[in-house]
Formats: sequence, C-alpha cells, structure tokens
Amino acid sequence: MFARSSARITASALPKPFFITRSSLVASQLRPATTTASNSASTQNVSPDDAYTILVAQRKQRPISPHLSIYQPQLTWYGSAANRITGSVLSVGAYGFFAAYAVAPAFGWHLDSATIAAAFSGLPAAAKFGLKFAVALPFSYHSWNGIRHLLWDTGKALDIKDVYRTGYAVLGLTTISTIYLVMI
Amino acid sequence: MASLFRSSLRTATAMPRLTQPVSTTSAAAAVRCSGMKNLGIMRQAGMTKKGFHASASRKLLPAGPQVIQGTINDAAEVPDPNAAHGSYHWSFERLISVALIPLTVAPFAAGSINPVTDAILGATIIIHSHIGFESIIIDYIPHRKYPTLRKGSMWALKGATVLVLVGLYEFETNDVGITEAVKRVWKA
Amino acid sequence: MNTTFLSRSLLRAATSTSLKPTTTTSIRTLASVATSQTAPAEPGSKEPNVKQFQIYRWNPDTPEKKPYMQTYELDMNQTGPMVLDALVRLKNEIDPTLTFRRSCREGICGSCAMNIQGSNTLACLCRIDVSNSAPVKIYPLPHTYVVKDLVPDLTQFYKQYKSIKPYLQRKTPSPDGREYRQSIAERKKLDGLYECILCACCSTSCPSYWWNSSDYLGPAVLLQSYRWLADSRDEATGARKSAFENEMSLYRCHTIMNCAKTCPKGLNPGQAIANIKKEMAFGS
Repeated sequence: MFARSSARITASALPKPFFITRSSLVASQLRPATTTASNSASTQNVSPDDAYTILVAQRKQRPISPHLSIYQPQLTWYGSAANRITGSVLSVGAYGFFAAYAVAPAFGWHLDSATIAAAFSGLPAAAKFGLKFAVALPFSYHSWNGIRHLLWDTGKALDIKDVYRTGYAVLGLTTISTIYLVMI
Repeated sequence: MASLFRSSLRTATAMPRLTQPVSTTSAAAAVRCSGMKNLGIMRQAGMTKKGFHASASRKLLPAGPQVIQGTINDAAEVPDPNAAHGSYHWSFERLISVALIPLTVAPFAAGSINPVTDAILGATIIIHSHIGFESIIIDYIPHRKYPTLRKGSMWALKGATVLVLVGLYEFETNDVGITEAVKRVWKA
Repeated sequence: MNTTFLSRSLLRAATSTSLKPTTTTSIRTLASVATSQTAPAEPGSKEPNVKQFQIYRWNPDTPEKKPYMQTYELDMNQTGPMVLDALVRLKNEIDPTLTFRRSCREGICGSCAMNIQGSNTLACLCRIDVSNSAPVKIYPLPHTYVVKDLVPDLTQFYKQYKSIKPYLQRKTPSPDGREYRQSIAERKKLDGLYECILCACCSTSCPSYWWNSSDYLGPAVLLQSYRWLADSRDEATGARKSAFENEMSLYRCHTIMNCAKTCPKGLNPGQAIANIKKEMAFGS
C-alpha cells in the first residue's frame, strides 16, 4: 500500500550530494568520529554513596508505565472487577438501608417494609422493572461468581481453560437468573 | 566487537540509499524513510503522538515517585506474622461465604421464614459486606502512603457496621424480617 | 562523475562489510541478514507488507518530556516472525535510541518481557500478527517504573524474590551422606513450578500487584515460594508459611487469574497461590 513508491519519493527528493556526504560520513568517518567522541567525553569517578544518591534522584523522575488503560480486556480481570463492583453495589445498598433504618426514628422517616412495599407498588412498571433489574443483576452475578470463587479456593478449576469455562458459565447463569428474578 | 558490528550495520543501511538511482531496492530498507535521516523526519513529521494511553492516569490511585527501601541487595521486608490477618482471616472469610449459600436459598426454598434464620442471614450478609469493604480499603488506600486516611476509613467502616447492625436488630425485632420484606416488595 | 564513482566504491565497501559478519554471527544480526541477503537478489519482486509498530518512549535524559508513543514502519517480508526480530531491526536500522532488554531470543532468559497488544509476554516468543493491518502496540510491563522506553525497573520485584529465601533450607543431613533424594512422585510436584524464569509478566499483569507492589509479593514470587514449599527436601515450610501470615504478602491475591492467562511459559501462578492458601488454612 504505502510502499516503496513513497519511500522512493522521500529518498529521491533529497539532493544527491547531500546523500553522498552523509553516507561517506557513515562509511568512512564513523569510527574516527566515535573515537574522538570517546576522547572528548569526560568521565568522573563517583563514590558509591554519591552513585546511590544519583540513583535515588533518578528513580524519582521515572514515570509509571500505563496499566488499566492499555491492558487487554480479558474475562479474567473484567470478571473480577465486576465481582467487586456488584458486591459493592449490593453491600452499599444493604448498609444504606439498615443504617437509615437505625436512625429513622430520630428523623421521623418511615422505612418499614409495608410503607416501602406500598411506595414500590405505586411506581410505574418501567421503574419497577428497572429497580428489580438493578438488584437482580448484581445479586445474580455476585452469587454465581462467589460460588466460582469458593470452587477455586478448594484448588480446583484453576486451569486457564477451566477459568474461562466457569467464567462463561457464570455469565450464562447470571443472564438466566436475572431474567427469572425480574419476571417473578 | 560491538562497535565493529554497529558500523557495518550502518553501512548496510546506507547501502540502499546509494543504490537508489541504480535499482529499486529501496524496499530492502523496508522502512518508510531509511537510514539516519529518519530520526529527524519521523519526529518532525508527527510520527509521534502524545498518547492518552502513554502516561498512566495519575488521578486514580497515583503511584507516586519511586522509592525503594534499602539497597538493591536487601531483601524486601517481611511483616510480623499475625494469623488473625492471615490464614485465620481467610478461613473465616470462606466460612461466612459458604454459609451464605444455604442461608440465602433455604428461606425461599422452604417458603416459611424462621426469624432466627432470618436474623442470622442478615448478620452474615453484614459481616460478608464488612470484610468486602475492608478488602477494598486495604487494596486502594495503602497504609504506607495514606496512613491517616487508611486508619480513618477503617474506623469509619467499623462505625458504619455497628450502626448497620443496630438497624438490622431494629428491623428484625420490629418488622417482618429480611426475606419476607424482600418478597413483599418484589411482589408489590 | 566524481560522485558516482564515490558512491560505487562505497557501495562495494558497504556490501562487503555488511555481508561478512552475517555469515559468522547469526543471532545478533538476524534482522540485517534478511536485508543484506535478499535485497540485491530480488529487486522488488514482492509487494512490501508494511506493519506499523507503536512503541512507548520515555527518555530519562529529558525527564520533563512526558512519555509518548512513537510509530515505526517495517516491511514484514524483510523481518523475522517475532516481535523481538522487529524491535532489533528497528534499533539496528531506524532508531538506535530505542531501548529494550533482550538476551536469549528463545524464551528462557525473560529479559524481553513487555506488554504487546495489551497483554504481557516475551517479545521473542510473540509472533507479529500479520493477518491484519492493525498496528502492533508495545508498552513496558504495566504499572512499573520506567528506566527508559521499554525497560522497567524490577528492583522491588527482585527484592521480594530475595525475601522468600529462594533456596533449599535443610538441617537434617541425608541418611547416607549423599544427595537428598526424592521419589518420582515428589519430584513431579515441582513440575510447573521450576520452569518459571522470573520474567515478571504475571506479576505486572496482576491488578492487585499494580496497586500494592510494595507489600504484596505478586504471582511470580509466590509461585517461586510454592516451588520451595512443595519441595520434599525443604525443611523450612513452617517459616515460609509464617512469613505469609499477614494481610499483604499473600492474601492480596483475589484470584483474578490474569497471571495464568498471560504467562509466556504456560505456567499457573494462580494455582500455586491457591495451593499455598489451602495449605495455610488446612495444613499441607
């Protein structure tokens, strides 16, 4: 595609004498050039302590190489992240509700199950569906993947093939149980 | 030896440019612009791009400048052993997780709700959540970098868990229990 | 006139010098062998198959300049099949400032570990995907401090390796005063462990290690530790295990399994860590 032609254009666009001088520099003057360079370059002895100080200073300049943003999306770590996120969603929900229930009398909130059920039944169907889905999906995934984790903890199914097999099984079961839970 | 090589290689790359007018071996160099000139061309011609991906996101969990404890030849420090944070903790974590399976399934499978079972289920969920949150704090708020924030968030979590357990107690004693409540809301 | 003469003679000089070393040394000049040998033989008989390489660059001499991606192009017809072949060629022929580690070029030294197309592997064992025209993206090992370009600093990794005492610890002499013998079954337990070359691909693929590399040992070092825990001749099992009795060293492993997915030697550090956890909880 791109190709020889463009390479040729780049090359031939340059005046010939320029080439020759550059090439002759490469061919004949390179070695002398490097030797003179090494002659002119000055080195100085550094004590081990000073060398260490230089190293420490240099370390502080170093960038950290990219990670999350460039690592290939894989079922392994995406699944693991999903496990943590779904767990957090459920737990934050549970903590939020029970903490609110604990302080409800002080603020005069009504958080008893009858009130909530009544409020929920008054919602439009789409909102009901959405809320159920928002609970059923993380619950399903975290439960199935939790079982997968317990299986792993026994030292089984850790072969990378099994990791993928069980990973897809978790995704399949999650889909099924989420649909079931939302429907009932 | 190496320098010998180097020079010979450079002449090798210089070759195609010289032969350019004679034959079409420019493909031999097989690079967009061969030879030493390339460096300049590539850099100028916008062959480089500042990638959003090239530097790690520093906002989230910044790694900070590199600091190495001790010299290169010192082994990394081994913390003092404490099984409560090690194997006992791990076993307890698994025990709680395993217990959650029958506790979650049973009330729905049996249809009837035993208040004690329901309370145990609630408490187990809270402990499981507490361990999960703890794990998140340990992972993302390292002690070595944010000692105060780490301590603070651990205590905040403990406080929250106590409050939540109080709420659970209130709920279990005054209301219909978790499983029945979920059932009612779900069917509402 | 003058110039053509000069160029001719130079050409001759160039061909002779470039061909000579290639016959004696095959490895280091692998990339240039192809160039110098095929170039004069068939002038443009094959359509060039150009592949782009996008490579992470950072120079410690200009630390204020942020890391950036540099794009290079190579004709795949003239390049060896592996990513390392391409890198060597780039360094030899286009950009001598491109910096990376390499040594054995056959997957046994672990020097050329880097992130290629998003996952960690050894450049010498990674084929260049010529089935499509997508550029090959190459980064240093993820979440490491960069010394230069593709060279990560692995000091902490080696210090952690040292901390697990990766050698046989034994007080009891062998019964007959000769070597410590193992049964075939005992020796078999070390298969899948002793092959680890400590290239750090797995550790730097582990998100848990990304966030806590100063305290969490990471999959490679834990697999190495299990290599000694599983060794029937080693008598320091208790001490080795008690070094893990804290929340960081071992238990930051959340069984993410990126380690086993990425290992260029096909080993399974995740399995080794699971075995350690099990033995920690229930005894071996």
